[in-house]
Amino acid sequence: MTGYLVRRAGQMVLTLFLIFTFAFFLVQAQPGDYASFYALDPDMPPEVKDQLRASFGLDKPLWEQYLIHLKNTVTGNFGVSFGHFPRPVMDVLIERVPRTAVLFLTATVLSFYIGFFLGKAIAWRRGGVLEYTATISGATLFTVFTPAFALMMIWIFSFRLGWLPVGKFLDPLVWRHAEVTANHVFGQMLLTAFLLTVFAFLALWILRKTGRVGLTRWAGPLIAVAAVVALLLLSLSGIGGLALDILKHMILPIATLTLISFAGTMLLTRNSMLETVREDYVMAARAKGLPEKLVRDRHAARNALLPVVTSLVYSLIFAIDGSVIIEGVFSWPGTGLTLLQAVRTEDLPLVMGAMVFIGLFSLLAHLIVDVLYVYLDPRIRYQ
Amino acid sequence: MTASAAVPVLRVVDLSLRYLTRGGEVKAVQDVNFELAQGEALGLVGESGCGKTSVANCLMRLLPDNAQLVAGQVFLDGQDILPLSEDQIREYRWQRIAMVFQAAMNALDPVYKVGQQVVEAIEAHGVEPTLSLARERVAGLFRMVGLDPALMDRYPHEFSGGMRQRAVIAMALACDPRVIIADEPTTALDVIVQDRILRELKGIQQRLHMAIIYISHDIAVVAEVTDRIGVMYAGRLVEYGPTAAVFRAPLHPYTAALMGSFPSIAGEKRVLANLSGEPPNLIDPPSGCPFHPRCLHATDVCRQEIPPRVERGDQWADCWHPLEAAPALEPADNGGT
Ligand SMILES: Nc1ncnc2c1ncn2[C@@H]1O[C@H](COP(=O)(O)OP(=O)(O)OP(=O)(O)O)[C@@H](O)[C@H]1O
Ligand code: SF4
Ligand SMILES: [Mg+2]
Repeated sequence: MTGYLVRRAGQMVLTLFLIFTFAFFLVQAQPGDYASFYALDPDMPPEVKDQLRASFGLDKPLWEQYLIHLKNTVTGNFGVSFGHFPRPVMDVLIERVPRTAVLFLTATVLSFYIGFFLGKAIAWRRGGVLEYTATISGATLFTVFTPAFALMMIWIFSFRLGWLPVGKFLDPLVWRHAEVTANHVFGQMLLTAFLLTVFAFLALWILRKTGRVGLTRWAGPLIAVAAVVALLLLSLSGIGGLALDILKHMILPIATLTLISFAGTMLLTRNSMLETVREDYVMAARAKGLPEKLVRDRHAARNALLPVVTSLVYSLIFAIDGSVIIEGVFSWPGTGLTLLQAVRTEDLPLVMGAMVFIGLFSLLAHLIVDVLYVYLDPRIRYQ
Repeated sequence: MTASAAVPVLRVVDLSLRYLTRGGEVKAVQDVNFELAQGEALGLVGESGCGKTSVANCLMRLLPDNAQLVAGQVFLDGQDILPLSEDQIREYRWQRIAMVFQAAMNALDPVYKVGQQVVEAIEAHGVEPTLSLARERVAGLFRMVGLDPALMDRYPHEFSGGMRQRAVIAMALACDPRVIIADEPTTALDVIVQDRILRELKGIQQRLHMAIIYISHDIAVVAEVTDRIGVMYAGRLVEYGPTAAVFRAPLHPYTAALMGSFPSIAGEKRVLANLSGEPPNLIDPPSGCPFHPRCLHATDVCRQEIPPRVERGDQWADCWHPLEAAPALEPADNGGT
């Protein structure tokens, strides 16, 4: 396994390098450069423009610019953003990457759970109303034009019902008198979520280790209590209202992303499950007198999970480009929106930084799925 | 051998089952009757597709969605299990009647440790109060079937074919069932392992005084380990009786043909009777006696009328022209090799 991980790390570095190079020349292939945005400005004399070019290093030959960017990336210092001047790229990214990560990890986990749950239910009980509605609506949402659907969600939940904010990360009115920054509040929220997840996993793991079947039943309530305590602490800490505001802004984009992507998992689970229910070990489980719920979850669905997890990699990639579109529509200031703006304005350092981060993120996700697979399927061993 | 006349643990009455398929109704089991006393061993034999597994599945009421029970009763310890609810029947499965599956390769779930899959059955029925006692029980079962208890924590893919077969037998024994169905328990294995496992299974069955149903297409294999034998053809039980009697003098030409299509001890193929062609299509079985298209003794009456039951002592067969006590040995004498 260690050897495998080392090899994988090597491959990841190589892939990142390719992504980097490809992205660099793709941006360069666009006509003009950052300074040319001022070309139409009649007040700006040409020598100032040249000066601007020189100060950003845009007058240097292409290969030299490439090497400078490469060196910056390798040293982990992406330079200074043209557009957000004088903020360093790293600074912009550290603010934006977590916002995207939260949005799209939550949506991925949610859509995976919903999809898997519905998929196994409709495969188990064929021909019911549930199968009909879930399949039709899932397939419709899966194929719908994403921006149109996102706008429709905004129209329904923000304009008609007025339940949720239209977009953006927070409501300036709420934050007018805030003494803390949005990044601080968001950081606290992330920390809480992270600690809760760790707690949930630990609780489940310890309860399982005790080997008493009855005990695992307590995991659910235990985690629920911990969640309530965490939320209570968060609201007592004085930033509760602010956190709630951010949370409100998260709901609509997450819901939209979840709705357009759960159907993939659902249909795949259904198909995979239709295969596993015919397996002899499922019949054996039933013959042993296990309750139907255990036959379904512990044997049929557990095995049906394997191909679904493999496909998780693809749905992650789907979620990445989905997140660029969603962030655009909801004006969510995450990595996707940042990348979009940076590309449009040829803010080269920021483009490169965002690309490397997105690349790193998808490669890591891929690796995690592969490692998870070893855990899920004892027949797989990586040498 | 136990030829007790006590209350049968298992009694099958007029069982008929069909599968609904796009091509029509597959009449997989028709009017099957038999019973099994405590400690008794019954063999069910017949070619592939004649309905042996279908009968076995009825005994546990483990039927695919397209199966339809047309008629009949299956009494387990005096209780007809066919009308029971899904919850009620779970109590019968594995505690009263368990199964050694036809394909041991696939009967074990690849993602769980083998021991865990046996423990799971014990837990489902609350046979042992704690997990450690359940694991101890599994260790005992593993020893009984000749497996190292350390193998409990291995996954199925780490087992050889013979080991898996033993594990599946251990699994069947987990809740002390009164009846065990062994559906082709050894066909996937090489002959030597096959023979050894079969003998061990027989030993365990006698020691624990369980009733057992061996299912096989190989009548010679089944003959070694059973008290009674039932021969199935086209979904029907066509001959039934004490193994020794049936072997000495089969009444039904199909039984004789099955016996003849296996090599004798000497190794040469002594053809007692020909068995050519294929079993019939069960969607549209032949009229009269279903065996008539392949039977050397068939006459017009066989083609038109369902054959009557003929009895000789404990042995019976459904045939218009049952074989005499000394079966058609003559062709064998002529037709060496
Ligand atoms: N689920 C099903 N749907 C339709 N037909 C079926 C189904 N299961 C079995 N059959 C058919 O029913 C008949 C009896 O099958 P069964 O499996 O009981 O035979 P078998 O004697 O056990 O054969 P084998 O020796 O090959 O295991 C066969 O013709 C088979 O094709
Ligand atoms: S009834 Fe006729 S066809 Fe059928 S087995 Fe007997 S002799 Fe053969
Ligand atoms: Mg069979």
